[in-house]
Amino acid sequence: MERLSADSRREKVREAAYKTATTVAAVALVATIALFLVQLATASHASWRAFGLRFLWTTEWNPVTEQFGALPMIVGTLVTGFGALAISTPFALGIAIFLADYASKRVTEPFKYLISLLGGLPSVIFGLWGLIVLVPRIGRLEVWFGTLVHSEALVQAGTTGVGLLSSVVLLALMILPFSSSLILESLLLVPTELKEGSLALGATRWDTIQSIELPFVRKSTVGALVLALGRALGETMAVTMVIGNGMRMPRTLFDPANTLASAIANQFLEATSPLYVSALTELALILFVIAIVINIGARVILRRGVQQR
Amino acid sequence: MSFRKLKNATMGMLVAATALLIIAILVIILWHIFISGAKYLNWDFFTRAPASVGESGGGVVNAIIGTFLITVVAAAIGTPFGMLAGIYVSENRGKRFADIVRLCADALQGVPSIVIGIFGYTFIVARFRSYSAIAASISLAFMFVPTTARVTEEVLNLVPSSLKEAAYALGARPSSVIWNVSIKTAAAGITSGLLTSMARIAGETAPLLFTAFGSRYIEWNMSRPMAALPLQIFIYAGSPYPSLQQQAWSAAFVLVLLILLLQFSARRLISRILRIHT
Repeated sequence: MERLSADSRREKVREAAYKTATTVAAVALVATIALFLVQLATASHASWRAFGLRFLWTTEWNPVTEQFGALPMIVGTLVTGFGALAISTPFALGIAIFLADYASKRVTEPFKYLISLLGGLPSVIFGLWGLIVLVPRIGRLEVWFGTLVHSEALVQAGTTGVGLLSSVVLLALMILPFSSSLILESLLLVPTELKEGSLALGATRWDTIQSIELPFVRKSTVGALVLALGRALGETMAVTMVIGNGMRMPRTLFDPANTLASAIANQFLEATSPLYVSALTELALILFVIAIVINIGARVILRRGVQQR
Repeated sequence: MSFRKLKNATMGMLVAATALLIIAILVIILWHIFISGAKYLNWDFFTRAPASVGESGGGVVNAIIGTFLITVVAAAIGTPFGMLAGIYVSENRGKRFADIVRLCADALQGVPSIVIGIFGYTFIVARFRSYSAIAASISLAFMFVPTTARVTEEVLNLVPSSLKEAAYALGARPSSVIWNVSIKTAAAGITSGLLTSMARIAGETAPLLFTAFGSRYIEWNMSRPMAALPLQIFIYAGSPYPSLQQQAWSAAFVLVLLILLLQFSARRLISRILRIHT
């Protein structure tokens, strides 16, 4: 009898420990977001007090005079992010449709593996490839274009090759595996009966894709693209290596520039004054808020897409 | 030929052309990494620390050790939190708070790595006034936890409820069902998820820039600055010396091999589960 009660007591303790441990971990995960917000906000307090909301729309970023305005970085982030999304989306759709509807299984499997391989490649390796292989070629292209339109400024900006254009191209390549595999996954969920029904009615394969499959995956594709955009906006190392750390507002696509992420990576170790560190931390705070909003938004879109079925 | 058929043929060719173009570019990228990386590899690369500035030769053994230590410690810190949170979400499926936890895990997965780096700097490095490998591990753990939580949850959801119900019918307590039935059934899947998450954090650079900082020497002490492969690639890639750029390619090659090894083990485990379940 005594033995039994000792056992049951131990069991109760174990039960309580299990409940507490899982709940604590779950709460900790949610609290992490708050911890990040509080930590980044406190660390960027000095910059907030010095510049206030002006930080978001002034264009001067000058460590010497300690004037910090984030607009050039915000513009750089938006241009590279949306530019990369615009270039990569048609290709992502193309490859997803090809693998879902045209290719045979023997082709699909190795292609899918290749895409997942590229998707798992570290950002710094894309950066290395971009810096050594892509940037010189883009530079030549820019100089060629500059001479074509007789613009001395464009030729000058394009000589090094680093800048917005290189970043856009590299980012487009980097988010392509991600968005195409997400789109492919949802294309594979289209019920076969729907496709067969359409084909049986005499629709061509493209008719079926256009009026059955694409409408079916519309919501999840939008969700996938928003997620890809989130990645592109926050992508750090590869962009840092090819964007050229330009501190002024870029005027053309060939100019060196900075994104929020690349400005931090390029300048944080050189930042000596507390205000400079604080301004860079505020960039991180902006980036964090953008990332959280975009990711939660995308998940909500994706979930609605699933529920509709 | 009707317009519809013409359109069908054109679009078909267009789609195939896009796919082939992209695949070709992706193959070229991989080709560059493997060829350029393998070309400059030699034995010194795996056994020696970097040569002093201006001298040729030397290797990256310090970075290999660093990446290994930082990744393993990060995984050790992150695994309990991630798994427990995953168990919570899976066991409380359908409840509002579990949904919120899942959403937060998804959102945290999308946090840019540089933000994690800045967080690690202000949260740990600035407080202790020194760069350290442990600060890097803790920062990476913040990336490791959400992925692990999601993977654990997804794998646990696959455990057939009939198995769990059978255990409950025998009078088992929830904690014992989780441990003896769910976790043990899903062990291979969870391990595979852990390996994939490790492969992901092993290649991260930005969280290490302001935490591990890098070092020229072989370092085992986690409380000191430490080298890591991604950091070494970043530093060498921007160097004006061709010999260092070559080392960047080789380091990239070694890093890719390491990641492939982790992913390959994960795949092997996954295929084993699929065999059991079918």
